[in-house]
Amino acid sequence: MTRLLLRYRRGLILSSTLLLSFVLMTLQVRSQSALADLTKHILLTSVSPFLRIAAVGKAATVTLWNEYIDLRRVRLDNQLLKEETRQLRTQVGELRETALENYRLIGLLELRNRVGSEAVSAKVIGKDATNWFRTILIDRGGNEGIQRHMTVVTAEGLVGRVVDVTALAARVQLITDPESTVGVLIQRSRVAGIAAGNQEGTVQIKYLPLMADVVIGDRVVTSGMGGVFPKGIPLGRVLRSSRPTNGALFQETWVQPLTDFSRLEEVLVLRQSPANDLPWGSGERLP
Amino acid sequence: MIAFLLALLGVCLLQSAVVPRLAIGGIRPDLFLVLTFGLSLSAGPEVATVVGFLVGLYQDSLSGAPLGLNAFTLSLIGFLVSQMSRQVRTAELTGRLGLLFLAGLVSGLTTLLVLRFFQVSRPWTSTLLWTVLPGTIYTTILGAGFLAMPKPKALRRLGR
Repeated sequence: MTRLLLRYRRGLILSSTLLLSFVLMTLQVRSQSALADLTKHILLTSVSPFLRIAAVGKAATVTLWNEYIDLRRVRLDNQLLKEETRQLRTQVGELRETALENYRLIGLLELRNRVGSEAVSAKVIGKDATNWFRTILIDRGGNEGIQRHMTVVTAEGLVGRVVDVTALAARVQLITDPESTVGVLIQRSRVAGIAAGNQEGTVQIKYLPLMADVVIGDRVVTSGMGGVFPKGIPLGRVLRSSRPTNGALFQETWVQPLTDFSRLEEVLVLRQSPANDLPWGSGERLP
Repeated sequence: MIAFLLALLGVCLLQSAVVPRLAIGGIRPDLFLVLTFGLSLSAGPEVATVVGFLVGLYQDSLSGAPLGLNAFTLSLIGFLVSQMSRQVRTAELTGRLGLLFLAGLVSGLTTLLVLRFFQVSRPWTSTLLWTVLPGTIYTTILGAGFLAMPKPKALRRLGR
């Protein structure tokens, strides 16, 4: 019997497994047997913990992968945003610059309307190359009708006068130049003097009588004497004033110019002196 | 035995977690068939039949198929592959792949027949053309990678 079994073991095993499979199927499909369900349940239970672990592992891997991808994307986005920020900063800088220029030009335009005379706006294209003089170079010259001794102003006040002219440019002597002299008035008390620049780049009023009524903060305007500068252009405010006790005949008065010459970018050249006194604004400095 | 169980567990995990992502047009490769086939190549018909039966049972438990359907099919496949591996030159990869392709077709046909027997019939032509054949081709292609891999010693011992 054993020999018979051994001889036909292959067929027997195959038949047994096929029969068992068939029985299981029949039990489940035909009679909805609990045995088949139980067997399936046991088999599934033996695998399900591993499936769960695999699912958790898979989820973790997917999460990690997605985060890695996100990180790469964020890195790329970051680079793009940095580039965009750089471009936007440049644009903002340019726009701010344009806005400031616009603001200054509006001031000049208003001044031009107020002055009423023929005036030419010009850009400052250069400053004096030495420490001995205080001059600037503007981008308008003889071609635009600029001539020597024409008055140059900003919305804040007096800048100086044209001293050299070429076809395309002109040199302007600032009121702080040591060689510059301007006839001025203390606006409140109407005392006249001469504003002269000096080596330090400030303005001093000369020939003010000792007893003249001068107070710190007094506004100083051009007097119109000498025929170069029109009357009434603000020049500055009295910074300090002293009366020497050494027998001198005049006060020593220093003026703070209203125009900031270190930030000068646009100016207005008055081609003709206005007929009347200039109706200037408050003389406050523009931003 | 432990190696076989580990391989079975690995295939269970791969088939239920990874293979669905590899589906092309709803067709998935059958790693249970590849496992049965791979073991049957070096195992005797008795072992191959039992291995096929166990692998099939696990496949049934992880699918909506009635318990025993794949056990039946894979038992038969295990037995046939083991028998044929002595006549076909399975030392070469092409021979093994040809046999795997044949096993896939037989598996599909057997499943169809068994299902028909239990009145769960499927249309023959379209099922063969759009389910059995593509599934077999996909399984054969994927199986080529598995069969080309060196088999662990423990699994080789199982065959003897």
